Amino acid sequence: MEEYVHITLDGAKVPVPKGTTVLDAALSYGICIPHLCHVPYLTPIGVCRLCIVELIENGRAKVTTSCTLDAKEGMVIRTNSEKIRNLRRKLAELLVAEAPNSRAVQDLAARCGVTEVRYPFRNHDCVLCGRCVRVCEEVWQARALGFVGRGKARRVEFPFGVKPDFCKECNTCIDLCPMTITPCPGPMKTGEEYLCAQCASQVSMAENMPDTCVLCDLGQGFQCARQTGQV
Amino acid sequence: MASIRELTSLRETLAAERRSKRGTIILCGDTGCEASGSHLLADAIRKELAERGLEDSVELRVTGCHGFCEVGPVMVVEPGNIFYCHVSANDAGEIVSATIERGQVVERLLYADPVSGKRVIKEEHVPFYRAQDRVLLGRNKLVSPSSIEDYIAEGGYSSLAKVLEEMTPEQVIGETKASGLRGRGGGGFPTGRKWESCRAAEGEPKYVICNADEGDPGAYMDRSLLEGNPHAVLEGMLIGAYAIGARHGYVYVRNEYPMALESAKVAVVQAEDLGLLGDNILGSGFSFDVKIARGAGAFVCGESTALMASLEGKVGEPRPKDVHTVEEGLRNKPSTLNNVETWANVPLIIEKGSAWFAGKGTEKSKGTKIFALTGRVKNTGLVEVEMGTPLRTLIYDIGGGAADGVGVKAVQTGGPSGGCLPTSKFDLPVDFETLAEAGSMVGSGGMVVMDERTCMVDVAKYFLNFLLDESCGKCFPCRVGIDRMLEIVTDITEGRGSPEQIALLEDLAETVSETSLCALGKTAANPVISTLRYFRDEYEAHINDKRCPAGVCRELIEYWIDEEKCTGCGACLRACPHRAISGEKEGPHTIDAATCVKCGICHDECQFDAVVIR
Amino acid sequence: MLELTEAADRYGRSQVVEVLQDLQEKNGYISREAIQAASDRLGAPLIEVYRVAHFYKAFSLAPRGRHLITVCTGTACHVRGAPRLLDEVKGQLGVEAGGTTDDGAFTLEGVNCLGACALGPVVVLDGIYHHHMTPNKLRELIRSVRDADGKRGEGG
Repeated sequence: MEEYVHITLDGAKVPVPKGTTVLDAALSYGICIPHLCHVPYLTPIGVCRLCIVELIENGRAKVTTSCTLDAKEGMVIRTNSEKIRNLRRKLAELLVAEAPNSRAVQDLAARCGVTEVRYPFRNHDCVLCGRCVRVCEEVWQARALGFVGRGKARRVEFPFGVKPDFCKECNTCIDLCPMTITPCPGPMKTGEEYLCAQCASQVSMAENMPDTCVLCDLGQGFQCARQTGQV
Repeated sequence: MASIRELTSLRETLAAERRSKRGTIILCGDTGCEASGSHLLADAIRKELAERGLEDSVELRVTGCHGFCEVGPVMVVEPGNIFYCHVSANDAGEIVSATIERGQVVERLLYADPVSGKRVIKEEHVPFYRAQDRVLLGRNKLVSPSSIEDYIAEGGYSSLAKVLEEMTPEQVIGETKASGLRGRGGGGFPTGRKWESCRAAEGEPKYVICNADEGDPGAYMDRSLLEGNPHAVLEGMLIGAYAIGARHGYVYVRNEYPMALESAKVAVVQAEDLGLLGDNILGSGFSFDVKIARGAGAFVCGESTALMASLEGKVGEPRPKDVHTVEEGLRNKPSTLNNVETWANVPLIIEKGSAWFAGKGTEKSKGTKIFALTGRVKNTGLVEVEMGTPLRTLIYDIGGGAADGVGVKAVQTGGPSGGCLPTSKFDLPVDFETLAEAGSMVGSGGMVVMDERTCMVDVAKYFLNFLLDESCGKCFPCRVGIDRMLEIVTDITEGRGSPEQIALLEDLAETVSETSLCALGKTAANPVISTLRYFRDEYEAHINDKRCPAGVCRELIEYWIDEEKCTGCGACLRACPHRAISGEKEGPHTIDAATCVKCGICHDECQFDAVVIR
Repeated sequence: MLELTEAADRYGRSQVVEVLQDLQEKNGYISREAIQAASDRLGAPLIEVYRVAHFYKAFSLAPRGRHLITVCTGTACHVRGAPRLLDEVKGQLGVEAGGTTDDGAFTLEGVNCLGACALGPVVVLDGIYHHHMTPNKLRELIRSVRDADGKRGEGG
């Protein structure tokens, strides 16, 4: 017999299997909280911070990531308050400014309501979401990749920068990488970095579909709600 | 020792031995004073005492920090509480012959009041110490850190004995709660409550950890406590472990503190030898062991979850704290992590009672706090005051006010997580809530005084740079947010600032502080926000006028030699590391603007004020 | 590697950080071989040891110079002029923080606070603490070390 806990999600009191995270609970109820580093079958690490929600405790609202928050009996969660929407939008704006050259990232930004980017564009090809590192460790147990370095110097690297012979060549890291999911028509030229919206991304739909799935390409590669027909 | 009675009798023997001494020469041998040659002085004293046959009747005690680092090497001679400063090895002979043998003071070694010129004889009358309440740091001079006998003779481990003999763990927690002791590492969390939660948590074994990572630049209170009185910390940990039900403890010391590491290691071995650590301590049935671990150069490892990861042999990356470390900490077991100063307070609270501790300080911030008063102030050093003491008292009465006569402009408290407060806020009492409301924080106790020669925008840049360097980089807002703030502040200091950037800075600050994973990120915006709040005019000067009022930001200043004042002595030419100055002997010198990096070395060298900043 | 075996025995398998600390102390840096050997000996995944070696500032991944100059860049020292000391070293030896001179004589490192704040600016040279440093004093210090090297017949 599965045990359930009851949490209040955006005003609705719902039963949730014990041990589920708040993010998974919300997704199962059709509330698509934006997320980037979350992959259903990988351990959540809470690094992209996009899935933040407000946890209401003792009259105070604490901002925390829903992917790392286990649902507990009586929890009150707000996934879409104005404060959360603002913070999410600002995070997404920073994300796009760091790595605009990816349709997945642009979709995500549109989904979070980004309409202008006020920071100078950079052109990184890795957002350090850790999907590749985690799948290599947890699913394939190869541990051929890892996060190396600290702070700004943090990067994903093979040991000694060389692909080790124990890499299983499964290519799952590539499949899951948001930067390789349908990139834009071409790399940006230096000095010409801008949000072009030419890659059929969902920019124009941002205002029309605030709470539901925007069929973003982040769902590719694993069984996302869209693909299982739940949306 | 197998029982408390043995400990008590050992204490009586050692104390009697102490009292039998004719005199005591107490010398500070802490890292700071050692850099000024105190070990040479110690050798010289030993030699003098031996030559006069006094080595058995006079005790030479090399101790930890006495707090008044500015005038080191520091010495106190008993009886008489005679305070000598700036002592060197050459003074040894006179000190022994005059003060020890004849009971006379050596005038020139006494502290002279800078205003009246009057010499002060007793340590307790030195103005620096008068406004302080040195319950913790004052004990440093009573013990030599490498001598557990000293610690016991002074009453050490009697609190442990009291706890083991007369108190239940719940009573210990009750006393700690009643005292109002709050974490001294920066978090300010009520210690008693933390212990209570940990005791109630399920899981074995439980751990007790001492955070001696003290990464805040400008703070060295923990170093001095651990170096000077390691047994006080160990005793605190023992009492805490008893209260929580923990069997194992760790002291995590940053590796930049080699002497503190050594002190801690020696103390643990000595305690083990006497049966104060290990199995069945003093026959009570309570067992506890301590291991010393080293940091490896990461400020983020001062964060409790990162520290625990480091103890487990991993990279020091914090993890989300939705489940607290008192329930799942080191190796996912209930762990209590407290700061060095917090632990050091515990034996005193047990000895003198929670009411004694709660009688000091303010309503919400009890007890005393040690601050590292540094920067542009006359008397730098470690200062211990009652919570609630106004900033003004610390900076002027104790600190002596501005160094070099240049006006004090601000004080930075709380390290990189804290903020800068202007002189208009100097009447604020130092306590957790007040400083936080003002936009800064007590933090671990760092207090850096800044004057008119400090550029507040440069200060913001300095801290952002530090935090970006030390950020673990795992979570997006901290890694990228701090970087973007630094990008903007750098633009401002280099003359590329625009007014819209202030709004961007405020946006970034909000995002970083609300969404970061750990306290490093969450407090990273404080230096920027507090300087914007109180020193906006400096930001505006940089942005609108492309001018740095303090004359610090290199891109906005120019160094230039006034031909009329230049005597052609060539000092600047020789001093310039970038070979940017040229000139003939006795003739006026010039600075090549293209080569000059505006380091300012020539400005400091010039005796004739001929080098001008504009 | 004898020191690796000793360290592994002393600290245990999970103590990658402590083991690397010992290796750093003994050899002055952590070599590629050391990382590989530590992974094998401790049973820790190679990528984990590699990560730890890169995360902590105490570990140098390249051999350091004969003389290590550490300039404290903590807040108190910064406010008292530590940046000028870095300028001085740059001018005298041509290296920035983290760099080693071409002749392998000196390595310059910045450190975020040594805890001797009242005596700042502080410079540590070959383990000895120098306080109230000025660019002039630093120049003299470097020169004296160079001269001593010359007398011993060591490069530079």
